[in-house]
Amino acid sequence: MFNSKKVLASFLALFILLAGCSAKKETSKEVEIDVATEERTLTDAMGHEVTIPANPERVIASYLEDNLVALGITPVAQWTVNNGASIQAYLQEELKDIPTIPYDLPFEVVTSFAPDLLIMSGAEAVEGSTYEQYSKIAPTYVLEVENNSDWRGKLLKVGEVFDKTEEAEKVLAAYDEKAKETKTFIQESIGEESAAAIWLVNNNFFIVGDNVSSGAVLYEDLGLTMPNVVKEISSTATGNWSSISLEKLAELDADHLFLINSDKGNGAEMLKDPVWKDIPAVKNGNIYEFEAETAWLYSGPIANSQIIDDVIESLTK
Amino acid sequence: MKLSMTQAQRKVRTKNLWVLTSLVILIVIVFMISMNTGYIKLSPLEVVRTLFGLGTAQQALVLFDFRLPRIVLSILVGMGLAVSGCVLQGVTRNALADPGILGINAGAGLVVMLFISFFPSTTDTPVFMLPILAFTGAGATAAIIYVLSYKRHEGISPIRLLLTGIAVAAGISSATIILTLRLSPENYQFVATWLAGSIWGSNWKFVLSLLPWLIVLLLFVYLKANVLNVLNLGDLTAIGLGASIEKERRILLAAAVGLAGASVSVSGGIGFVGLVGPHLARQLVGARHQVLIPTAALTGALLVLVADTIGRWILQPSEIPAGIVVAIIGAPYFLYLLSRLQD
Repeated sequence: MFNSKKVLASFLALFILLAGCSAKKETSKEVEIDVATEERTLTDAMGHEVTIPANPERVIASYLEDNLVALGITPVAQWTVNNGASIQAYLQEELKDIPTIPYDLPFEVVTSFAPDLLIMSGAEAVEGSTYEQYSKIAPTYVLEVENNSDWRGKLLKVGEVFDKTEEAEKVLAAYDEKAKETKTFIQESIGEESAAAIWLVNNNFFIVGDNVSSGAVLYEDLGLTMPNVVKEISSTATGNWSSISLEKLAELDADHLFLINSDKGNGAEMLKDPVWKDIPAVKNGNIYEFEAETAWLYSGPIANSQIIDDVIESLTK
Repeated sequence: MKLSMTQAQRKVRTKNLWVLTSLVILIVIVFMISMNTGYIKLSPLEVVRTLFGLGTAQQALVLFDFRLPRIVLSILVGMGLAVSGCVLQGVTRNALADPGILGINAGAGLVVMLFISFFPSTTDTPVFMLPILAFTGAGATAAIIYVLSYKRHEGISPIRLLLTGIAVAAGISSATIILTLRLSPENYQFVATWLAGSIWGSNWKFVLSLLPWLIVLLLFVYLKANVLNVLNLGDLTAIGLGASIEKERRILLAAAVGLAGASVSVSGGIGFVGLVGPHLARQLVGARHQVLIPTAALTGALLVLVADTIGRWILQPSEIPAGIVVAIIGAPYFLYLLSRLQD
């Protein structure tokens, strides 16, 4: 019952959109607005020739929503794990009413949204020759950048797919401007004091690498001083966040700590540990706590911009 | 006296025929249900219309490209694994032999894993490679197990074969786990679903790459039914009856490995089918391999088909890999068998 309603609803939405779309086309004929109105053929990361529709209206780009939002595109479905229990909460202002789709993109669920363009976040998403089946649902573009933490490259690629390269560049320029201003502000307020982002989950601490995710924002974009321990851990890091032992934590001489607390619900016992309490930042009360749902665990134009907002807010307190 | 014997035989034959027919009917029923199961609702009427080419494009896509390949693949994989288990049980004269327990699935998995970790997924080739790779892995594992459990003058004792198999499987599984730790999260996801035995991303290519292996090997095994019957009597009797047991055993083992490897390559590690399928079959029709093999093939097919249908339906819109559903059904059965063996 529930599903048939959902399907019905998505069909209704399709009709409304189609109606809206055709109406828009008529006006664009008269006014000659400068939008891409022709189909284009692009070659994706796996060498597929993908025909991008003139004005993609029903896009699914699972786990790339940040870029879509930055470019003013609203997808028809958004990424989730655990059937909606876990979503990209920091994007919900823009994606509030967008239904979710499981991260592994089951064929039939994708089909039920009647998309007109699919963007896959990497070749792994279409492993085992599932590309063929996805591309029967809608044109499927596999996006891949050489370095997965290269969010700028990702944004530009997404911009290219939608013929919005200029907008993407504008977003990047605005971000860089914002980062530059914040950098000056930080120099004035805390000078050379060091800072680190630390994530507490299941009683384990993780430290962000120096050039990935929120680490890239803190050290590369905002020029914050990196504690030695972060430097050391980053040099051997294999993922975005690396586990930090209690011994290493004792050496963490950070003056400011951005704490992402995923253990809030179960007491966060680790925050009562004497080793934790002995960190300079904790001693001096320079600790800024964020929930796991905030942008800190993500990366992308919107996420990074929100991280900068959080940093400004924290350091002006 | 002679008359009553043939009467008894005829009775058995009728019963067997009846069992086979009802299995086929059951498979057809589940097949129908499975075609109607999925996130997008298709009524039975719509399914029939679509089958005759009268459905919408979307309905045709869902049915022909998403559901049918999966259903067909479930049936084929179930047949392959169950017959493989049937042969292994016959050859080792051990009721607990199964391609999963003997480490053949694990060996196939390890090679697929190695391939995924060392070759970039940007190349679009691997599908047809997978059966061959999995077969190589399964074959190598079987060879290792065979060599390790071989003793001069004694040959292969069924118990030693099984124990070696379990040990080798444990070793391979740990190697696989070490390898998964080195994978990127995206690749890990693919491997994890593969290892869990998902028929998830199946398409007609998978069916095509599996079909020739299955046809040849199933036919071959069927033709060897009498040898399996003789081997079942025990080594001494078999030698007495003039079977060259080591040679036959080796050939049949190779066929079983081929069946399991080919099936596992497209479905991932579905365990317990090779154990439960033949067992159910033996309960139904007895130990004569001429009847046992086809019956095992059908029970195996039914088992995987049911498991995949349940997995597709129970947690919508997400799916549970068929291998996990089979394990949930199969593990208790395995324990039940173990407890009965102790008596």
